[in-house]
Amino acid sequence: MPEPLLLGLDLRASYRLRLGEVKAVDGVDIEIPRDSIVGLAGESGCGKSTLINVLLANIRPPLVLKSGRILLDGLEILGISREEVRKKVWGVKVSIVPQSALNALNPTKRIIELVKDAIRQHTPASDQEIISLCKRRFEELNLPFDSVYKYPHELSGGMRQRVIIAISTLLNPRLLVVDEPTSALDVSTQKQVLKMMVDMKKEGIIDSILFVTHELPVLRQVASHIYIMYAGKIVEYGPADSVFFRPLHPYTKALMYSVMTPEPESRARGLVTIPGEPPSLLMPPQGCRFHPRCPYVMDVCKKSEPRLVPLSDERGVACFLHHGESVN
Amino acid sequence: MLSGISKLIKPELFMIKKFDASLGVLFAVFALGFIGPLLYQVQPTAVAGPLEAPPSRQFPLGTDAYGKDVLAQLIAGVRGSLQIGATAAAISLLIGVIVGLIAGYKGKLVDNLLMMLTDIVLLLPSILLMILIAAYFKWRDPLLVSIIIGVTSWPWVARAVRSQTLSLKNREFVNLSKMAGLSDFQIVIRDILPNIASYIFMAYVLLMSGAMIAETGLSMIGLGTTQGLTLGNILFWAQVLEAVRRGLWWWFIPPGATLVALAASLLMLATALDEYFNPKLRGS
Amino acid sequence: MATISPFIIYILRKIVFIVATFFIFLLIIFALPRAIPGNPVAALLTQIFQQAQANPDTVKAVYRKFLEEFGLTKPLHEQLFDFLSRLMMGDLGTSIAFYPRKVAELVASYLPWTLGLLIPAILVAWALGNLLGAWAAYRRRTKVDNALLPVFLVLSQVPYYWLAMILLYVLAVTARVFPVAGAYPPSMSPSLTPAFVLAMLHHYTLPFLSIVIVAIGGWAIGMRVLVIYELRSDYVEYSELLGLSDKRILGYVFRNSILPQVTGLALSMGTVMGGALITELVFSYPGTGYLLFRALSTLDYPLIQGTFIILVSTLLAANLIVDILYAYIDPRIRVSYVGE
Ligand SMILES: Nc1ncnc2c1ncn2[C@@H]1O[C@H](COP(=O)(O)OP(=O)(O)O)[C@@H](O)[C@H]1O
Ligand code: SF4
Ligand SMILES: [Mg+2]
Repeated sequence: MPEPLLLGLDLRASYRLRLGEVKAVDGVDIEIPRDSIVGLAGESGCGKSTLINVLLANIRPPLVLKSGRILLDGLEILGISREEVRKKVWGVKVSIVPQSALNALNPTKRIIELVKDAIRQHTPASDQEIISLCKRRFEELNLPFDSVYKYPHELSGGMRQRVIIAISTLLNPRLLVVDEPTSALDVSTQKQVLKMMVDMKKEGIIDSILFVTHELPVLRQVASHIYIMYAGKIVEYGPADSVFFRPLHPYTKALMYSVMTPEPESRARGLVTIPGEPPSLLMPPQGCRFHPRCPYVMDVCKKSEPRLVPLSDERGVACFLHHGESVN
Repeated sequence: MLSGISKLIKPELFMIKKFDASLGVLFAVFALGFIGPLLYQVQPTAVAGPLEAPPSRQFPLGTDAYGKDVLAQLIAGVRGSLQIGATAAAISLLIGVIVGLIAGYKGKLVDNLLMMLTDIVLLLPSILLMILIAAYFKWRDPLLVSIIIGVTSWPWVARAVRSQTLSLKNREFVNLSKMAGLSDFQIVIRDILPNIASYIFMAYVLLMSGAMIAETGLSMIGLGTTQGLTLGNILFWAQVLEAVRRGLWWWFIPPGATLVALAASLLMLATALDEYFNPKLRGS
Repeated sequence: MATISPFIIYILRKIVFIVATFFIFLLIIFALPRAIPGNPVAALLTQIFQQAQANPDTVKAVYRKFLEEFGLTKPLHEQLFDFLSRLMMGDLGTSIAFYPRKVAELVASYLPWTLGLLIPAILVAWALGNLLGAWAAYRRRTKVDNALLPVFLVLSQVPYYWLAMILLYVLAVTARVFPVAGAYPPSMSPSLTPAFVLAMLHHYTLPFLSIVIVAIGGWAIGMRVLVIYELRSDYVEYSELLGLSDKRILGYVFRNSILPQVTGLALSMGTVMGGALITELVFSYPGTGYLLFRALSTLDYPLIQGTFIILVSTLLAANLIVDILYAYIDPRIRVSYVGE
């Protein structure tokens, strides 16, 4: 098996607050193969954005790292200084399209100024070189080049989103991490943004995409692999089709079921509706974290926690119903 | 509203260091003004001893150019300043809250007109307006001084109350009250006011510190109260009678220091309350 | 379709607003002496009249001039019309205390001292306060911030004139490093010789410092909060993840935080002016504060009114300048908004 682009092992990170510890990432293993689009799905508040920050080695109080290793394109990125991460990792090996893309650009700088500042942190380049790099890239992506001379408030929301994707990837990072890119956009803009990212992968600008969302239908269109997250833990992973058509974990099943229900409105909006409340990460339930909402709950589920067990080379699930089973 | 505030105040408030420190200073200054007269029974207006005597056992803060006891003046002055500060702040608060509530709740034309008025008063510096108004009164009792300070210091309160009202008036509970047929007045009293009680309390604290500083400014230019003592009055006479150039430090340092202690602890109190009521502002 | 740029609209609106404010201020000036019970102006007339025994001719001339300018016998609307039309001509009336000097000319001779003190002090305090506040915010939850914040809080509550008294006592009366009064030595007459300029700066130091030191506190508190908020904004996070250095990002943050402080500058100038007028008294500095005090203690109403009219017009003009500057440096106003 070829070496994956990113391998994260035993990742644990918490927000340290006065009230206690919010264990937002609690023992996550994750693998992003080269040339793949990996989807990460789960309800709002389950720790997706926190996991992204850990994967980017962007850990700052109140978030603290408890354990874990990350190998990104051959480089250990946890345990080196923030300064080094900034130089060697961000923008070059991995880039992000943040959840709050609408406010992610400095409101008082023309976009080209930000681009110049960003590129010069990594390579000494003249204004002319930067401008022509930008121009070439914008043309490749069918974006109007004159938008780089504008201020963020002069661009529409969808255009801001696409411009951010373009400038995040100017230096051809291997991995692009996208945090709920479509939630603030209308349907047609969503499609454009998705297509743009898939095209970038085809053209080799980037190798792989980690695509984070709570909207499953979107994932189904693009992802090759899927991770399902619940209350700070990965509860199931596998190839996209396999997870979509043969969900094993009761939580995944509930997610899929809620997407399949023929209520046009909730489907269009990708609303995931599962009975019960997501658990508090400050005081998660004992045993299996899903047990208060699980229709298949057994005695053992309330006492001990199911490990994430690989069922085959590609699939794994954390549920007592499937321990000892194997799938192909 | 008072019960609303008392419900908001919980023991955690006392865990904020700034809160405890400012409460301590405030308590000390209030004690000086209100318990002081019981313990130190010297007439502030009577000639008590030699002229310009430095602090001594007999005159803890010395005497002024006429031989009046400075500590006795300070005790009376603190009380006078607190009284004017409290009254003026109440007047500003009343105007500011009423203007803000009406503008925010009524919206549209009323809002536009009231905010225009507010911005105009905001643009004209309050201390200059105060001087201008006070100049036309030959006799100024503490109430008049409070009114002059009060009617010129409300605009920022009006602005803040307006924006809070705006954000409250479309909430669910207000809509419910509307459907229940409550009048605008009832809705404002029952639904809006209690929700901005904590802000109003903070505004009062800030207004009070501002008003006491304004009183001192008015006094220094000769337009303070013509009846009774205030910290500003003491400073005025110290200034007119050249206390600084003649080296009588005990005459002008204590009243100024007391004023700064009072105003700074009120500001710190408001900051602490702000942190307490809006935890988002805290550190992180 | 051609549209007017938002920059122009913004400035036009500001101008209209400032002119309206000035007009309302004039109405207040006009109405106050006429509306206050007990008619202060009549009281003043009686007082002047009583002095007539001592110096009959001058006092009678003052009396006549005053009656004419205030025009108290005419109907109200005619009084207002006279008042405004005289103002348009630049005529602020005749002083009583300095009879027969004109108010405009008197104020004009004192104003430069006030502005010379005020403008540099405001700008220096603004710059230093913002730098210190940004520094405290950058080092928040460290010893630096824990030490600076209380100092800022207390400073912001110190009256200028009280600090002035202390500086005067410590540095002039006790240590004798600076002169105790005035804007220049009484033995010299104003000129542009190096000796005079040096002496003037020597007199200037303490009044300048007492305004700067106090004003720093307020600016620093404001800037500290603005920077702390700004540091948490989404663009800071994203810029960092693009690989930008701390230095660059702090540059962005400082620039964006200072924008609201520019607006604050416009609003605070009046308060600083009020404090500075009283500070002039402490130093016997020959500015408008000193003049105003003279006018107030002699109930010289024409001079009081004239001083206020000049001070407020200066302030409003300064406000307009700052507002235009703001519109120019904030691209969200300068560059047209296209939107979604
Ligand atoms: N800065 C923070 N401080 C404290 N708690 C936080 C912070 N950010 C997120 N959390 C908490 O961590 C949990 C996971 O949040 P997040 O990673 O943003 O979830 P998601 O992206 O899946 O919606 C939530 O319970 C959230 O309340
Ligand atoms: S472990 Fe038990 S409670 Fe948890 S998902 Fe599986 S069956 Fe449900
Ligand atoms: Mg998120």
